[in-house]
Amino acid sequence: MTEERDLHPLEKKLLTYLENNGKSSDADIIRESDLPDEGSFRRAAQWLLSRELIIEESREEKVFVELGPLGTQNLEVGSSPELAMLRAVAGGSNSLQEIQQDTSFDRGRWGSAFGALIKGGLLKKADGKILFDGKPEETVFQKVWDLVYLPLSDGAEIRFTDLPENIAEIVESRSPRRGKSRAEFILNGIVTSILDITAEGREALKKSLETVTIGVMTPEILAEGSWKDARFRRYQVDIPPSRIHTGRLHPYRQFLDTVRKRFIGLGFSEMRGSLAENEFWNNDALFMPQFHPARDIHDVYYLEEGRSVPPPSDELEKRVAAAHENGGDTGSRGWGYRFSRRQSLQAILRSQGTSLSARTLGSNPDIPGKYFAIARCFRYDQVDATHLPDFFQVEGIVLGEKINLRYLLGLLKLLAEEIAGASDYKFLPAYFPFTEPSVEMHIKHPRLGWIEVGGAGLFRPEVCLPLGIDVPVIAWGLGLDRMAMLALGLNDIRDLITPDLSRLRNMKIQPDRLLTGREGGANA
Amino acid sequence: MPKIEVSRQDLFKLSRMKDPGDAELANLLTLVKGEIDYSLDDELKIELNDTNRPDLWCVEGVARALRCSEAGPFNHLADLPEPAGEIHVDEKLENVRPFVAAFTACGFGPDQKQLNALINVQEKLAASFGRNRKTAAIGFYRLDEISFPVKYRAVTPETSFIPLGEEREMTLSEILADTETGRMYAHLVEKADLWPLLEDASGSILSFPPVINSQTTGRVSPGDSRLFCEVTGTDWETVQLTAAILACNLQDRGASIAPVLVKYPASMHSEVQTPVIFRDSMTATTDEIRKVLGIDISLDSAREALLRMDYASVEIEGDTLTGILPPYRRDGIHAVDMIEDIAISIGLESFEPLLPEQFTIGHSAPVEELVDAVRTVLIGAGCEEILRPALSSWRKIKEITRTPTDPVMIANPMTEEYGVVRNTLLPGLLDVESTSAHASYPHRIFESGEILISGDDGVCRTEIYLAGLVCGNKADFGDVHSILGSICYSRDLDLSLRSVEDERFISGRCATVIINGRASGVIGEFHPAVLTEWGIARPASGFEINIDSLKE
Repeated sequence: MTEERDLHPLEKKLLTYLENNGKSSDADIIRESDLPDEGSFRRAAQWLLSRELIIEESREEKVFVELGPLGTQNLEVGSSPELAMLRAVAGGSNSLQEIQQDTSFDRGRWGSAFGALIKGGLLKKADGKILFDGKPEETVFQKVWDLVYLPLSDGAEIRFTDLPENIAEIVESRSPRRGKSRAEFILNGIVTSILDITAEGREALKKSLETVTIGVMTPEILAEGSWKDARFRRYQVDIPPSRIHTGRLHPYRQFLDTVRKRFIGLGFSEMRGSLAENEFWNNDALFMPQFHPARDIHDVYYLEEGRSVPPPSDELEKRVAAAHENGGDTGSRGWGYRFSRRQSLQAILRSQGTSLSARTLGSNPDIPGKYFAIARCFRYDQVDATHLPDFFQVEGIVLGEKINLRYLLGLLKLLAEEIAGASDYKFLPAYFPFTEPSVEMHIKHPRLGWIEVGGAGLFRPEVCLPLGIDVPVIAWGLGLDRMAMLALGLNDIRDLITPDLSRLRNMKIQPDRLLTGREGGANA
Repeated sequence: MPKIEVSRQDLFKLSRMKDPGDAELANLLTLVKGEIDYSLDDELKIELNDTNRPDLWCVEGVARALRCSEAGPFNHLADLPEPAGEIHVDEKLENVRPFVAAFTACGFGPDQKQLNALINVQEKLAASFGRNRKTAAIGFYRLDEISFPVKYRAVTPETSFIPLGEEREMTLSEILADTETGRMYAHLVEKADLWPLLEDASGSILSFPPVINSQTTGRVSPGDSRLFCEVTGTDWETVQLTAAILACNLQDRGASIAPVLVKYPASMHSEVQTPVIFRDSMTATTDEIRKVLGIDISLDSAREALLRMDYASVEIEGDTLTGILPPYRRDGIHAVDMIEDIAISIGLESFEPLLPEQFTIGHSAPVEELVDAVRTVLIGAGCEEILRPALSSWRKIKEITRTPTDPVMIANPMTEEYGVVRNTLLPGLLDVESTSAHASYPHRIFESGEILISGDDGVCRTEIYLAGLVCGNKADFGDVHSILGSICYSRDLDLSLRSVEDERFISGRCATVIINGRASGVIGEFHPAVLTEWGIARPASGFEINIDSLKE
């Protein structure tokens, strides 16, 4: 017994009741004992049974017959459809159509009664007529009426086992376990068990009454020192804890935090910028021609009339405009069109984090230098399982005298291994309007196979020179939403921004595994 | 990204190579920045990533690249014969649709499948590159039914002919009003007084560009091996390049191409042989090439690489290399474009990646460090972090939440639900409450994030706000006040509140947040009317401050 825990207050109450009242049925205990409710009784009884401090003397299931919805209807009509049909046929009606004129029951119920009577051999069909050779009041359906319906209507209890065999058969066949809304009868089983205290139970109760046991510790117990003569009730320490909701960081923000820390760890400095941009920084400075399809009104969010973002300096704008029109002094032919200042100043929501890189290039960056930004971007997409109204990209630049295509590939390799957590990756020629050469990176995902996660390129001279940068610059970017979905095990991108707190609480977070490219979360 | 569907058999027949299987094909497609999107039996769908290369948006273009990488350049449209005929352009078209290019292609009689492919290219080019037939639209005709010179005229909308697929003669305005194609492209011409029309020397009408061909001459059938092709449009370069691409495609199919002379009135360009061959050239020195690629490549190897990319010519003179693009390309405007072609031709896999050698120090943006510190305090205060989109709706921010200031609206929203940029985080948190009644209470939630505000002068700027909200049976003002207090205490800032009236909150339970003497935000118990509008059934209080106010 020493290894056993002490009696729980609920257990004590149950044992006390049994000690005082002898063996008792569960219904009596629930009704009469000090146990607060049925749930407490069941728990206490289960604990005590498992420790054999009480035993179950007997256990009996009583099955009672009750009326289902169809039975209740029969009672209201004053007859079952079978009985009514037998009476009708005995009275001279001999076609189903004729009987169905009586609207006491719907056509369906008449139909199934007919089927049952034919099947039971009570009715016969000959020459298209229905025949009944007998008296309705002598059939089994009359007995069902007398032995089941009438007593139930008087409020009597009918035990299933008390019914004669042929009646019981009919009752049981009309008591479906499923689809109770179409049931004539319902069989309701009620289990009664008789419990009694065992010798060990008496012993345990006696012991627990003799000793002062301490349940919850209080400051008084400490102050008075009463614990010295008492014993502590032993807790059952292995029961599952109840769930509490702690403060916690958002799973996607944690993912973004991890990405941020890794970039800082790789020697990148963080850039920040505005959600609203003008087309100059979002597109023009990146040498995207003003007629480029991605600049169409159907691809970019324009801010309402009258809103603006501070314009670039006149001098800078002139250089960028020249690069567009005829290449200026960048060694390029340019796009050969007339640059529009008005379009350049149009305020939009930034469609790519590259606008931050352009701004950084235009404001005396460190050379050599490495920069990154985790930027919310906006694209003109219908929101669905793969598109958000706004999404996160991590983008940036690497500048330096010696930068070339091989360093660009080396950077992508670094991003694949350190940020995407991939060990298998490949590089493919790509097209971005502002870089040349351009490369995209695909990584091998264990479940999805090859997926594109990002890309990089050397900024075109038409981008760098007007911004005052005469060293090569790598521009790179990675999509984060998709990586986060993979890491968090989500299938619907909208879950990343869900307003549903319980959904959020159920997302698992394992920041150390977030970027492995494997399924980090357990929600898949 | 353009996607094209091609017949695998056709692709490899045109490439003159054996089908190497999908894995090797994927590798070859790097030459055209293409990826296999779908492959089953003869069906092949290819995604092409270079939006600047309309010549690749067809099976002929992709096949051409594969073939040349093996067999070297083809010299497309070199040594063309004398013009097969003339087109005379009406000066009244100058402000309607002035440009036209044309050629004849003889000796290739397409079967039904090839004819379909031809029509697909025509549609694709006109739709994407030709901006839905605005800058360029294409027509094919049976050459033998046309007598030169063809006239490109400006005519009145009352002019009539039988359009392709119809049975009766219709006026041009009827065509725009009563045919499906007419309605689709009406906007391209209907604003002008006179509309474009192509007719031949005998006066029989070829087509009503860019809308529809005529039923009589404008119908090409399988087996027709003598074709006349024209491209009209509003953009000179687009028209010429489109014609050149089509001519190269037909040449690849085995047709002989003859140019057509286009005579413009004196007020415009005088005369020009079409399609115009641009011969765009790029020049780079050994040093420039090596500096971009990072390898010690010789000019001879660079030349070889470019010829495998079907350059029309590559000349070396001393230390410089000059490449001329084939007639179907105009995407080379700087030496770097040619240098990339060298890299693609050599193959990226042959470049050994190098890690950056130069040392740089990584920094977090200062504001992010501040935000992180505050988030940590809030987690300690038992708050759960929320992340909501930056786009919201006027209804949520203004009508339901009653935010006093107006958010910046989007001029062209996709849906009203995302029609404004948020200027406050509180509606996002209330949204969470209205969705989370089934999550056990109390709820203590917060978000820090970007919002957009506009000054009186309309100049927009992004700020980072911090908002917190407590909701539950016993949630009240004191709860959020304590949370705010713990943030200020942790940063050694003075917090005081000054009572204020704000429609979002219950009168007398709302205040301006003052941090170190500066008004920094708002705090209050949400008004029952606001909660009811949101469908929130429990009391809630919240605060919102500008994160900058925690800086000192």
